[in-house]
Amino acid sequence: MAISQLLAKFGRKKKPQSDESYYTAGQLSLIKDRFKRKMSGVVAAWILATMVIMSFFAPFFSPIDPTINGADIEYRRGSPQWIHFSDENGFSLRPFAYTYTKEKTGFDFKSLAAGGLDALDALTSSDALSSSSQNKYIINTEQRRYLQFFVQGWEYSLIDLSFAGFDLDWRSDRHLFGVENGEIHLMGTDEDGKDVYSRSIHAIWVTISIAVVALVVKLFFSLLVGGVSGYFGGKVDAVMMSFTEAVRVIPPIPIYLACAVALAQIDLTPIQRYFAIAVVIGALDFAALGRRLRTHILTERNQDYILAAQLCGSSTWRIIWRHLVPSFGSYIIVDTLINFPYVILAETSLSFLGLGLTEPINSLGVLLQKAQDPDIQQNMIWQFFPVVLFVFLVMAFVFVGDALRDAADPYAEKK
Amino acid sequence: MSNSKNPLLLDIRNLTIDFSTDEGMVHAVRDVSLNVRPGEIMGLVGESGSGKSVTAKTIMRLNPNNTLIQQPSSIIFNHDGRDIDVLRLRGKDLSVVRGGAVSMIFQEPMASFAPAIRISDQIIQTMQIHLGIDKKEARRRGIALFERVGIAMPEKRFDQYVFELSGGMRQRAMIAMALSTKPKLLIADEPTTALDVTIQAQVLELMLELREQYGMAMLFITHDLGVISKIADRVSVMKNGQIVEAGTTDKVLFSAEHEYTIKLLDALPNLSNLPEAPKVKPAPIVTIDNLSVTYKMLSVGRKAEYFNAVKNISLALPKGHIIGLVGESGSGKTSFGKALLGASPISNGQVTYHTDNGGLSFDKKQSFKRKDLANIAQLVFQDPYSSLNPRMTVRDIIAEPLEAMKLTKSRSETDRLVVEVAKKCFIDIDHLRRFPHAFSGGQRQRISIARALVCKPQFIVADESVAALDVSIQAEILTLLKSLRDELGLTILFISHDLSVIANLCDWVCVMRYGELIEQGSVRQIFLDPQQSYTQQLIASIPLLEDRGQSITPLSTVKNSQ
Amino acid sequence: MANFFANTWLLWLLITIGAFFYWRGLSSQYFSYVLHRYLLALGTLLVVSGIVFSLMEVLPGDCAEKYIAYKSTQGETITQADIDAERARMGLDKPLVVRWVKWVSNLALRGDLGFSCAKRQSVNLALGDRFWMSFWFCIAALFFSYLIALPFGILSAFSINKDWTDKNPLNSKREKIVNTIWLSFNKLLDLQLRLISYLGLALPNFLLALSIILLYVFAGESAPTGLYSDEWRNVPWFGDNGFEVDKLWDFLGHVWLPIFVIGWSATALQLQTVRALVVDENNKLYVDAARARGVTGMALWGGYPVRHSISPLFNSIGFDFQRVFNDLPIVAVVIGLTDSAALLIEALAQTNDQELAAGILFLVALVVISMNFITDAVLAAIDPRVRISVLGV
Repeated sequence: MAISQLLAKFGRKKKPQSDESYYTAGQLSLIKDRFKRKMSGVVAAWILATMVIMSFFAPFFSPIDPTINGADIEYRRGSPQWIHFSDENGFSLRPFAYTYTKEKTGFDFKSLAAGGLDALDALTSSDALSSSSQNKYIINTEQRRYLQFFVQGWEYSLIDLSFAGFDLDWRSDRHLFGVENGEIHLMGTDEDGKDVYSRSIHAIWVTISIAVVALVVKLFFSLLVGGVSGYFGGKVDAVMMSFTEAVRVIPPIPIYLACAVALAQIDLTPIQRYFAIAVVIGALDFAALGRRLRTHILTERNQDYILAAQLCGSSTWRIIWRHLVPSFGSYIIVDTLINFPYVILAETSLSFLGLGLTEPINSLGVLLQKAQDPDIQQNMIWQFFPVVLFVFLVMAFVFVGDALRDAADPYAEKK
Repeated sequence: MSNSKNPLLLDIRNLTIDFSTDEGMVHAVRDVSLNVRPGEIMGLVGESGSGKSVTAKTIMRLNPNNTLIQQPSSIIFNHDGRDIDVLRLRGKDLSVVRGGAVSMIFQEPMASFAPAIRISDQIIQTMQIHLGIDKKEARRRGIALFERVGIAMPEKRFDQYVFELSGGMRQRAMIAMALSTKPKLLIADEPTTALDVTIQAQVLELMLELREQYGMAMLFITHDLGVISKIADRVSVMKNGQIVEAGTTDKVLFSAEHEYTIKLLDALPNLSNLPEAPKVKPAPIVTIDNLSVTYKMLSVGRKAEYFNAVKNISLALPKGHIIGLVGESGSGKTSFGKALLGASPISNGQVTYHTDNGGLSFDKKQSFKRKDLANIAQLVFQDPYSSLNPRMTVRDIIAEPLEAMKLTKSRSETDRLVVEVAKKCFIDIDHLRRFPHAFSGGQRQRISIARALVCKPQFIVADESVAALDVSIQAEILTLLKSLRDELGLTILFISHDLSVIANLCDWVCVMRYGELIEQGSVRQIFLDPQQSYTQQLIASIPLLEDRGQSITPLSTVKNSQ
Repeated sequence: MANFFANTWLLWLLITIGAFFYWRGLSSQYFSYVLHRYLLALGTLLVVSGIVFSLMEVLPGDCAEKYIAYKSTQGETITQADIDAERARMGLDKPLVVRWVKWVSNLALRGDLGFSCAKRQSVNLALGDRFWMSFWFCIAALFFSYLIALPFGILSAFSINKDWTDKNPLNSKREKIVNTIWLSFNKLLDLQLRLISYLGLALPNFLLALSIILLYVFAGESAPTGLYSDEWRNVPWFGDNGFEVDKLWDFLGHVWLPIFVIGWSATALQLQTVRALVVDENNKLYVDAARARGVTGMALWGGYPVRHSISPLFNSIGFDFQRVFNDLPIVAVVIGLTDSAALLIEALAQTNDQELAAGILFLVALVVISMNFITDAVLAAIDPRVRISVLGV
């Protein structure tokens, strides 16, 4: 649907805007209008939206439980199972996959038991024990597994607000797709038999949510520093800014590392650890945005319309709320979006060093960390699927950020 | 040159230009035909958005990417007897109209010199491109030109950066640069608009002299018919992309036919028709005693320096009248106006408001309640763009004083007052839910006035409030201000650098220079019988229709001087 | 006496420089500005040292424990009393502020960065010239990223507001087609270049480095990890046959990898910056004015918008360095470098060596702040726009 809309958008002539709707358009709809003109940004936004929605409802979109509970013991280190429409047995409107079964170990235990050293030699040299042969499976093309939609499967909670004190835990066991007689591993499985595809799309949401938490924390500190500094000015400003300047020159990743090491000393549940890391990443990243907010407030404070508001008898708080905050609202949104990829990268860097999130949590960083394992690089290349997702995610963010940056201040081009 | 078949230097025919924007096609120029004869000054008059600058830029082919020049436009430039189709020029050939035989002077000399390159290098580069002379020779000529356009210490100035020169000096340097390649045609796009009146008069004088000396033609673009009357031989008046009136300057100025031209002419000051001084000077609404305003200037690594923007001014402003405050840029008039509203750092003196309910007084401590003052005095800003918060609807902007000071009891009462004041300022009630970006400068200025009036103040400071507006819009705002004075008994302090506006609007005039009040009196007094030499100089430099024919050299004397 | 100066040389140097600026500043506004920036830089360094030093407190363990633990591996029996005694000896029982003052004063007096417990030697000695190695890596990576970002950013700025098609009604059909092809080519090129440069950002550094090493492994060649291959590691640069050119080739064959990896990831941001700056300058009136004077082609682009974008770009070089260094440690770990970035990771994540980590971070900050100071001073001297804004003349 998204694509057809998109095509329709490019295909049809832009209809002239009705004037009144433009005249009564607020800041946000002006930004939206300008954003829509950036083709690369719009495409990236659709990709991004698809990924975010898929990952938010990841249990629904994934046929298999990504945790160890859903691991397919029969299909460890299994390669991706493709979906077919036709093969030598004929064409089918219903897409199907094949049945994969483990190759029966071909060792001749009897001869081994008989003490034949030759047999042992044969066994070791036959590669049967080498890791690459462990993911050999027999594909039974006769036994089709037809794809089914809205199948029943493992139970999950679609929306769970119980942790926030709400009595809402909407559970479901429906999934978008699955196959009859067994499971489908679109992107193969890892060494425990966990489904790579399911893990990956679950991981996106974890990573995005950690970035969201980090960015919220960052925003809070930036607003605090920038707002106090910009509004009070003078000595407060000088002190705050020299501190910010000092924070700004220190490379952040080593600092994250130090904090992560410290966190590692504390006994934390995975969830606490998850939040702690988000807070650390966010809290130490206030310098750049805080500084820019300060500059923004300082320049905006001297704008005529602020003086006009003062002369109208507006109180300080009214000026802040009605005039200053809306004036950098759009800016903050854009900055946040532009910073998404960097925060995500910070999380993956930490995880890569084993200091961020760790197994069994599914974050992109955790999955990416596995990519450095030579075994995976050589024998289970499908475990690079999360890398592909990651690249798409970051690129989508960057392009959306780029287009938004251009669209950001709808009032900049006036005059 | 006498063998030229074409008597015209520049011949624009049926020029039609569209811009393709995201909001659709914008028709910038419609079927404009215009020509310039050798050695002639052709005036092109119009307001912002009338397409006059687009036309000028098209002659040099400086159009932005989204420009569509439609068939059957043609621009023929006669270069040494050869007819050149300007719109068909490509690549290197373009240099004929770009600096070669045509030069351009822009409105803002500051922005049209590259800031980080010495003026000398920019001029020498131009000469080297077109004249093929060596650097030394170019330099010699450049300095000679600087001397010619009246820049003191030309050798020193020549090697400076643009920001090191003063405003008038910059425009002279720009003229020198334009002349450096000895063009046949000089396009001057509002060359004097950004300058003070006295400097404007000098620059116009200079351009006339240069025309005579170099025998070049000029396409002189301006919004000001007063300037045209001083300089042009022929005039075309543009409106909405079309030429509405054309002819010799005398014909256009003295027997205009199109209503738009007549409107422009009406905006010009008419010194023979100044209002009589009011017989009784009413009691003052505000008295100012020994007011001084001092700014602290901070510079890196130095002690703070103090700058006295306003020095010891005492003044009483009569109730219910419009008082004009005139001065050139840097005279301290804006600081003075803002000081009356408690928005400048007062270092000495006192401001006292006399109102029915007791009045208000403050000195350098500025210990008054903002709310009390807001109900007595308000400000209308110069810039109609930056003074309105772009993120609020017109209704919210006008209602701001009411809501900020909680003057009304209910939202409906606020709405009622907003509608009332909007009507008074001729704002369409249906437009109240629009945002400021929907409006032009003049409409925005109405909104700004409505906001100032909504809490019913008795005194308004209008700080250059029409300076950013087109002449015909200016007239509407001035009429509005007059009607507000008459209907509401409002006192207005009208700050302006533009003497013609002052002459049309005010009852009393004060003249400021270097922070001091040097003269005050009724309009008639000031304009017809100025006492101070500075005031006399100021009045003398107003371009007046009455002076037409006195200061310019008739075309006939220069026509064949080459 | 000589000893006294040997122990306080850095302080005298700093004071001398400051005094020189002060002396020149008496007669020149430029130097009083430089002095101001100089003092500001020193102040920032002081704050940085405070932040870095106190942050390192979060690392578990302290020097005394580590030292004693080391002793215990040597066969001595250790009691808590021993640890406490050691702590008192090292001054670790004092409050943070006292220790920080001691650290900073040693630093300011003679450039002493403290003592590395894990390596049991002074930080200066442990670092040796490894910091310079990291420094040159970063500079080379910056150079690489600018090399790509500058031309591509300018190209991108060039095509940003252009249409895909030529719509000029005065052009003939043929001209329209030719122009359209040219314009589309430019647009596509721009899109591609942007994609490539953003890919550098989207591919995490460690993954990129890993993938490249992997390619070598697949190809059956030895991966360019480290700085030299084994055969050249211990060969001196100047051997019997004069300069060892082959060693240079070997070195270049290795060193490109970290430079390429961190350089590429820095390119994305640089490209965006260059593009924004050039577009900004290009919209200014003086470019049109130059065009109106007949300046064209390279003289126009190079002499006007690009030339005016260089100063702000130059001004950001300090923070670019910081950003590049930020990426270096992880790449260093993957590639097996032995520079200070790898040392930093080791100190932080493995040995919890507080003063070593603090020392390295402080040095990075020192480089960034010095660069900022130098660019500020240089720009105020040569760029008239900066001069007017900071000096007012």
